[in-house]
Amino acid sequence: MTDLRAERVFFAYGEHTVLNGVDLVLEPGTMTLLAGRNGVGKSTLLSLLAGIRKPVEGVVLVDDEPIGAMQSMVRARTITLIPQDSDTSFEFTGREIVMMGRHPHISRFSVPVAADHEVVEEALAITDAGHFADRSVRTLSGGELRRIHIARALATKAPVLLADEPTANLDLEHAVAILRLLRGLAGEGHTVLLSSHDINLIAPRCDRVALLHESEIHTVGKPEEVLSEDVVAEVFGVTSRAPTGFFPREFDAL
Amino acid sequence: MTKRLSARMFLLIGIPLTLAIALISIVQGRADLSIAQVVQALAAELNLAEPLDPHHQAIVVVIRLPRVLIALVAGSALSIAGSIMQAVFRNPLASPEILGTAQGSALGATVAIALGWTATSSLVLPASAILGAVLVTVVVYFVAGGTRGFSVASLLLAGIAMNTLVGALIAFAISKLSGDKWDQGSQILYWLMGNFEKTTGPDVIAVAIGLGAFSLILLPFMRDMDVMTLKDEGASALGVNVLFVRSVLLVVACALTAVTVAFVGGIAFVGLVVPHMARLVVGPTHRALVPCAAVLGAFMLLISDYICRVVLPDTGLRVGVVMSLLGAPFFLYLLMRLRRGRQL
Repeated sequence: MTDLRAERVFFAYGEHTVLNGVDLVLEPGTMTLLAGRNGVGKSTLLSLLAGIRKPVEGVVLVDDEPIGAMQSMVRARTITLIPQDSDTSFEFTGREIVMMGRHPHISRFSVPVAADHEVVEEALAITDAGHFADRSVRTLSGGELRRIHIARALATKAPVLLADEPTANLDLEHAVAILRLLRGLAGEGHTVLLSSHDINLIAPRCDRVALLHESEIHTVGKPEEVLSEDVVAEVFGVTSRAPTGFFPREFDAL
Repeated sequence: MTKRLSARMFLLIGIPLTLAIALISIVQGRADLSIAQVVQALAAELNLAEPLDPHHQAIVVVIRLPRVLIALVAGSALSIAGSIMQAVFRNPLASPEILGTAQGSALGATVAIALGWTATSSLVLPASAILGAVLVTVVVYFVAGGTRGFSVASLLLAGIAMNTLVGALIAFAISKLSGDKWDQGSQILYWLMGNFEKTTGPDVIAVAIGLGAFSLILLPFMRDMDVMTLKDEGASALGVNVLFVRSVLLVVACALTAVTVAFVGGIAFVGLVVPHMARLVVGPTHRALVPCAAVLGAFMLLISDYICRVVLPDTGLRVGVVMSLLGAPFFLYLLMRLRRGRQL
């Protein structure tokens, strides 16, 4: 059970301020959607929360400990990030990619032991990726590859899971399957944050929605409270008919 | 399912095969010797047997042995360097030649020779070669995209540009020296050809020490190399200190290339082609790939040298030329695979 919080986080690329005093609290056992317009800084915020970038000001705390003070391997065992793009140019098998998730657990001079292989098999089973795990990842479909990368994240055994656009470019069936998977992990006590543009599909499945707008967290709360007509109009510049009901709620992956 | 040979099996077949060819390579040549004579000559060096007559003893120990050994260590060093670069640049087309590292070390050596620094210490030459290799690689690294990531195109173009620039500087140095300092000019030309003819025992020892030392540095980073292929964010999220690991790996790759080039000259395509061939057989996991590429690289250079020295002895072929003749078609094949939308 690990909580993650950003406190007054400020970040800029050169002169361009991306995040200006962002506060965000992520609690264990919850799944949160991070939404906002293109280029608003969602991926940047995720990488700050994962501790792979340092904020210019402010602090990210893991169970009240500053993430910057954590040793990198400890951090990687606590928080894991599934970047939108981590395709490899090499013919690793799915299983080898998932084994990379054990990297923070294996010392420099050791090799994976039986326990590591067990964790990998478990992660492949949870993501239902076992039947294509021995194929080269370069031959997998988008949905299969995404499941391999989620399995890799699970293999770290990190209680906090951050996913950047986990359903991007996936068809409805695969997107729903990924969401059910993440939802299930939150149900087991993981802290889950995912960024996405697909509010209709994802928001109803989340416990909370955080909207990033003009370098700040505009609103955060339950999906039906946050996604009001006014807020959606202000943040996304579109009008919606029924703010909480305009998304289909009950898709299930076959 | 992905079919592969285990690294253990590859090494079990590859190492004895390479050593056998090494022995044959010492046996055969203009003066044919028997295996027994070669074994006796080698044993004599260790004071375990009576030496052959001085002429034959010298052929084995002074001429052929260093040549065979340098082929082994240079092939290994260049192949390991290529494997590292392909991981660091996350690109199967990266290699010490394509990225200009090899040319950079030749430039470093050229400058050292042209300015007459090499007379001061025997360490000056390899040191200048390493410096040149690092400089050129760093420039290509940043021009191609630096920490923001690289595309195949930007990497190749940056490499081509730097290779051309460095090649021009070397050509200028040679033409400048070709008047009154022809010795230095020809010394530089010697590099560009890449050959083992003048290799001596101390050369072999120098490259072997470089190979051993830098391979040792590499050992703790084998899994990091796997993880680095996931791009920076993915690797950082798994706890890899990307900047540190990348710097260490690049220095190791540059040093392996530079030490080799400093002693045997420019031998193209080993670093590019050999890791590919090994990857096709044992897969991309570096703990398996690196040792197998090292053995395959040794094997390839040994065969190239054998072709020059034994199969086509009077054609003036140099090992660098043979390797290019073998490697360039394979490189074209890789590009054609890329064009057909398949991975490399």
